[in-house]
Amino acid sequence: MKTPVSVLRLPRGPDPNSRGFDPNSPRFIALCPTTVSTSSSGSVDEEEQRLRSELRERFLRTLLLMTDKQVQFDMFEKVRVRATFGASDIDVLNFQVSDLETPLGVQKEALLRCHDMISCSFEL
Amino acid sequence: MAMRQTPLTCSGHTRPVVDLAFSGITPYGYFLISACKDGKPMLRQGDTGDWIGTFLGHKGAVWGATLNKEATKAATAAADFTAKVWDAVTGDEVLTLAHKHIVKSVNFTQDSNSLLTAGNDKVLRIYDLGKPEAEPQEIAGHTSAIKKALWCNNDQQILSAAEDKTIRLWDKNTKEAVKTLSFDASVSSMEYVPDGEILVITYGRTIAFYKAHSLELIKTVDAPASIHSASLHPDKDFFVAGGDDFKLYKYDYSTKEEMESYKGHFGPVHCVRFSPDGELYASGSEDGTLRLWQTAVGKTYGLWKCVLPEELSSENSEALYCPPAEIKA
Repeated sequence: MKTPVSVLRLPRGPDPNSRGFDPNSPRFIALCPTTVSTSSSGSVDEEEQRLRSELRERFLRTLLLMTDKQVQFDMFEKVRVRATFGASDIDVLNFQVSDLETPLGVQKEALLRCHDMISCSFEL
Repeated sequence: MAMRQTPLTCSGHTRPVVDLAFSGITPYGYFLISACKDGKPMLRQGDTGDWIGTFLGHKGAVWGATLNKEATKAATAAADFTAKVWDAVTGDEVLTLAHKHIVKSVNFTQDSNSLLTAGNDKVLRIYDLGKPEAEPQEIAGHTSAIKKALWCNNDQQILSAAEDKTIRLWDKNTKEAVKTLSFDASVSSMEYVPDGEILVITYGRTIAFYKAHSLELIKTVDAPASIHSASLHPDKDFFVAGGDDFKLYKYDYSTKEEMESYKGHFGPVHCVRFSPDGELYASGSEDGTLRLWQTAVGKTYGLWKCVLPEELSSENSEALYCPPAEIKA
């Protein structure tokens, strides 16, 4: 009768709340430069970085402004739905919404998949 | 004392796992990428199977996935008609390469500067990753969808296997087919072993070994069931194969004898590959899981721990997880 090989633990599975790639892992820290390059093309990189930061900040502020407002979401397959925007998750994978108006009725609480979205609009 | 193999199951995918690839050995160990019909390829630590991250962006089943040697870049081929290149450290999408049909296969050159893609539009494409907006070089010739395309012979040649039941060896510069192998059945998988220049091909129940330069047949081995994928150990003493009967088979390469077979998967095995250090092999299945198997069963490696019988009942055994004695059906 053979004895099964023992294991220390089972392999870790995916984290349901994030796409992973832990920025605190030794590999990430070692391989991802955190400082802006100072080479001759540095000024171009710095400008691009500044613009990217600006766009990112605008996007995040838009999400904040959207909170508790009625938003119309245009999605693939000609789907257009309205809902009250609650929050986004950290990787912008899902939007938590309330009172989602669908052809089947109003869904009290729902998660919308961001990958399915084309655009969203709301009144300020 | 004879030990029974305990495969490590990596869960997370929700649909069949159709392709997998290991990176080379890096200062941080080696890594494994899996392609899945759920459209979300995953990166895992190669020796433990621990999930590191999921590459998000494809809008269709991912048919092929690969890592460069240093595991700094990943590439994926999908049913959404694109191949994507990813930063394998941050998980960010770096490049999307639009194609005219389902992309099935992606492969980096040794220096990671070029990417080879192939798929249902029957054309091989070579992208210069330094100039991604430039048009790729194209090599046409196959008369049906290409399942797999690999760089070989120092990245000077390309091997491609297609539904037209041929495997063709192309010269990268002249774009001409240097050699063609014809089969009676569709080739289900292809692996290129650079050290030793061996090509491992599977079709029907056969695992065949060819010399990569000349496409000269070295030997063939027949398995008890239809085989979907096989992999040769880096030391070329064993090879493993898996297919329709859900089992993994281990053969002695020199004698062609079947040494072991392992049950574990709940569906056909679609892909199997040895790790770069040969200590384990990974299999991907229709059942949506990846499993890691030890080459030397019972050896302490990764999450496997060699335990002597006395230790199992001592105080030191709390940290160990001992799987139940009976194999579940």
